[in-house]
Amino acid sequence: MFGGHYLPKTMCSSLGDPPPKGRSRTGAYETLYIYPPTLPPQMFTTSAQLLDLTDKKLMITLRDGRKIIGVLRAWDQVPNLVIQNTTERIFAGGMYCDVPRGILIVRGENVLLLGEIDLDREDDIPLPQRSYAELAPLQEIEKKELKRRDKVHRKKLRALGFEDEGEVLH
Amino acid sequence: MTDPDNTTTSQISEPLDLVHLSLDERVFVKLRGDRELRGRLHAYDSHCNMVLGDVEETIYVVNDDEEDESVQTIKKHSEMLFVRGDSVVLVSPLVQS
Amino acid sequence: MLFFSFFKTLVDHEVTIELKNDLCITGTLKSVDQFLNIKLDEIRVKDEARYPHLAAVKNVFIRGSVVRYVHLPANAVDTALLEDATRREAGNAAGGKGR
Repeated sequence: MFGGHYLPKTMCSSLGDPPPKGRSRTGAYETLYIYPPTLPPQMFTTSAQLLDLTDKKLMITLRDGRKIIGVLRAWDQVPNLVIQNTTERIFAGGMYCDVPRGILIVRGENVLLLGEIDLDREDDIPLPQRSYAELAPLQEIEKKELKRRDKVHRKKLRALGFEDEGEVLH
Repeated sequence: MTDPDNTTTSQISEPLDLVHLSLDERVFVKLRGDRELRGRLHAYDSHCNMVLGDVEETIYVVNDDEEDESVQTIKKHSEMLFVRGDSVVLVSPLVQS
Repeated sequence: MLFFSFFKTLVDHEVTIELKNDLCITGTLKSVDQFLNIKLDEIRVKDEARYPHLAAVKNVFIRGSVVRYVHLPANAVDTALLEDATRREAGNAAGGKGR
């Protein structure tokens, strides 16, 4: 699948064909086009990208805005994820709390981003930590406010002829 | 704009052929969400992924107060921008005024 | 595959990715795949105070489907070559007219 056939004709042809007339080409760019093999194609697969992150402590943001911290253990092409030793980190009112969630399987489409946590810096959280009991009501209020704003926002923009972004990402 | 050694530019048979004619021309792109772009079209594919140069982005900002009907716009400039196709609503050639 | 190839030529350049949730992440482009999932190294987040969860994150994998824009360094892009590649790809798609 990752042979070399996916290279646009430009790249292949720039090896053989004479360059089109009247076009100046910058050296660096041409080099990259002519010699893509300097970077091995297997580097540019989902697997290669996730392999580096496997068994690392990650911060995963989900489409609904939840932040999950845990160790990435398994994944596939989509990429669905298996995350171990997870905690959900909840932010509200300028504070945060951690709620243990155990082991999770996350469906790929719900993943927004995965971030590798710098273990030297992970404890430098610029916010005070509180208990979940303390944050839960705050979180509820913030969610409601967000929902209300979003509703007003969509209504007004629809009146202007805009299509909303489908689902709002947080 | 015309490309003498590519005959497809003279045949319009599918919608994206119209976009083809706008290559290296300024285009107007309307996006999902509250955004519009004006810029020079350098590349596109069948998903409407695009690369635009010298882009002016217009963002429409509405007040979250239900009563207040005013709309503000924010303009941003970007020298080179990749736009993901799934946000694109329409592409239109931009006639320079 | 045009944009996949295009992004591969931008490896090691600094780009800013704007997600559909308005989060802007600047970093060095390290990798891209066929779905245009992107890996960035040494990231910085715009408006950091709003995103405290990213404070200790050093590199990210961003799912292609949540990207709105990628701001690119203009000097790293050969627009003539890009347009050429687009014409060829469009030509091929329209029935093998391209070379």
